[in-house]
Amino acid sequence: MSDDAIRDAPPRRRLSLGGASGQIGLLAIVIGFWVVFSSLAPGFLSTFNLFNLGRSLAVDIVIGFSQMVVLATGGMNLAVGSIGVCAVMFTGFLLQDLGLPIPAAMALALVLGTLLGWLNGMAIVKTGVNSFIITLASASLYLGAMLILTKAVPYSELPAAVGAFGRLKIGTFLSPLLVIAIVIGAALFVLYRFSTLGRQILAAGANPRAAAMSGVPVDRVIVFSHGLSGFLAACAGLMLVARLGAAVPSVGGEEWLLPSFLGPVLGGTLLSGGVVAVVGTMIGAALVTTIRSGLLVLQIGNFWLQLFLGLILLFAVFVDRYRSVYAERRSTRQR
Amino acid sequence: MTNAFVRALACGTVLAGIAVAGAASASDNKIALIPGGPHPYFAPWEQAAADAAKDFGIATVDFKVPTDWKLALQTELLESLAAQGYNAFGIFPADPVGINSTVAELASAGIPSAALAGCTQDPSDVSFCLGTDVYNSAYLGTKALIEAMGGKGNIVHLAGLLVDPNTTLRVKAVETAVAETNGAVTLLQTVADTDAQEAADQKINALLGAQKDEIDGMIATGYIPSVVASKSLRTLGDKRIKFIGIDDDPIVLEAIKDGFVAGTMAQNPYGQGYIGAYVMDLMASGGCTVKDDAPWVKTPQTAKFIDSGTLVINQANLDTYKDDLKKITADIQGKFKDTYLNCQ
Repeated sequence: MSDDAIRDAPPRRRLSLGGASGQIGLLAIVIGFWVVFSSLAPGFLSTFNLFNLGRSLAVDIVIGFSQMVVLATGGMNLAVGSIGVCAVMFTGFLLQDLGLPIPAAMALALVLGTLLGWLNGMAIVKTGVNSFIITLASASLYLGAMLILTKAVPYSELPAAVGAFGRLKIGTFLSPLLVIAIVIGAALFVLYRFSTLGRQILAAGANPRAAAMSGVPVDRVIVFSHGLSGFLAACAGLMLVARLGAAVPSVGGEEWLLPSFLGPVLGGTLLSGGVVAVVGTMIGAALVTTIRSGLLVLQIGNFWLQLFLGLILLFAVFVDRYRSVYAERRSTRQR
Repeated sequence: MTNAFVRALACGTVLAGIAVAGAASASDNKIALIPGGPHPYFAPWEQAAADAAKDFGIATVDFKVPTDWKLALQTELLESLAAQGYNAFGIFPADPVGINSTVAELASAGIPSAALAGCTQDPSDVSFCLGTDVYNSAYLGTKALIEAMGGKGNIVHLAGLLVDPNTTLRVKAVETAVAETNGAVTLLQTVADTDAQEAADQKINALLGAQKDEIDGMIATGYIPSVVASKSLRTLGDKRIKFIGIDDDPIVLEAIKDGFVAGTMAQNPYGQGYIGAYVMDLMASGGCTVKDDAPWVKTPQTAKFIDSGTLVINQANLDTYKDDLKKITADIQGKFKDTYLNCQ
């Protein structure tokens, strides 16, 4: 299948961007939780909580995107947290030690994130080893290199404007970080929905062999997706730098793994590849953030939180499995 | 035994006296003591919170633990508690720099915070830091180890998390104490990231398995490696290797009693929680602020540090060290208001 064939395919036969009905159902669940939490705990709707919830959500959404773009190819990126913390510490180094202007430092940190992701992609396509193994190794490699180079010393004297941006409010409680996350989401939606490259990525994820036979440069789109994943992980890292007003080595790492999978998988992105759900990832992240915040505000024992997050992940995996089987049956019927 | 009883009674009387005086200023404050994550070191904070609420008539003093040792989880917990109306916090920062933005936001909302057991990195909006002087504790511990070794030999430092700035301070303290021996003592190795059960088991047992005969002494500056090394030395039946641990886990104390461990550096977690809740209550009521010209101790992390007390536990004071810590707690608390606060 050529590029034109993908572009010209009728809308119903196009590779999926995630089921809208599932996302509406997910949104209804999120709204349900909001109603429950706000009625049981008045503090849940306080501007203080809404502002903080929005900031956490912004970071979770971008972390989810970082994983989603690789899931689209049928792979995974276990190094999102390591790339994120590398970008965080690199930003601190550029701002504090080299004294670069904020935009230049942030741009270079994004370049570093992209480069680290690109290295993952290159290693995967050149060796043919599963992305699970490559990114598991690179997660330790990147984190270890960061610790060796920085000696785990945080950068706490960044320009005041960095922290001020993280504390900025649009209106009474809307964080600009959330706006950035939504803008990134819109850009990704356009990429997958309207661009040839986006559809090539989904085709390579759905069936790499068929995609290659159709002329899709599968290796190239895998490398691109990992580069994009690194870029997005660096974005999330920069958001945390703004949130904390400092660059600290204890953010990112394994901490990002769970949210990176929860958002996309709950939202409708298939672990097996070929399907992404940009809006669904945002709603999935909103569900996780809402439950986390709600349980905390309700003062349900903190250790129950882990249990709930585990149950949500399990639920997401079952839903993912159901979706895979359903998609397969529908595809068989259509043939 | 009789002396110990009398000392305990005296300390109890002092604390009760302060408590009665404090109870007169009952408050509606909601205070939370929040460690960086689950860790046995903080277990006494729960009792300290309950005792402080009872003794000083504070409406609520809760001990809330983040589910994991992660900055994001601690930040979320703080924010959610603030949303529920908690109006003062005693915090062990999960990250001494990363927590500052949250503390600043709490301060701007009129919610004071104090760093307990571990400090934030200046500049910070925490009112003060009450904790163990980690540099001094590690330095004194290493000196005690060198003395137990007869002033010469090879030692190993079992250190905590690499990403914890306190680890850097402790590493420097051990290196300084070793350097002062002018070559009589050699630091063979610093084994870091041992403050987790599995990592400590693997690293310490591998170390002892491979280099037991070359090591004359060990010092642990983390709670878990201290316990693991005590158990390993007992299992090996080795009393030749001198070991100084940290904190007063029963396993370590039993090993001191039986001669497998030379000593351990006691910290004062109960006192940190108890005094922290008392002072936060005074500050949350709006009548007290910290004095700029108080006799603060300046450390590499903060200019407003108060040492919560540290001492070496060995066979000589094994039965009496708790009384000594209670005395230290009573002493700091009794003087705190006049020494460190301006109250209307």
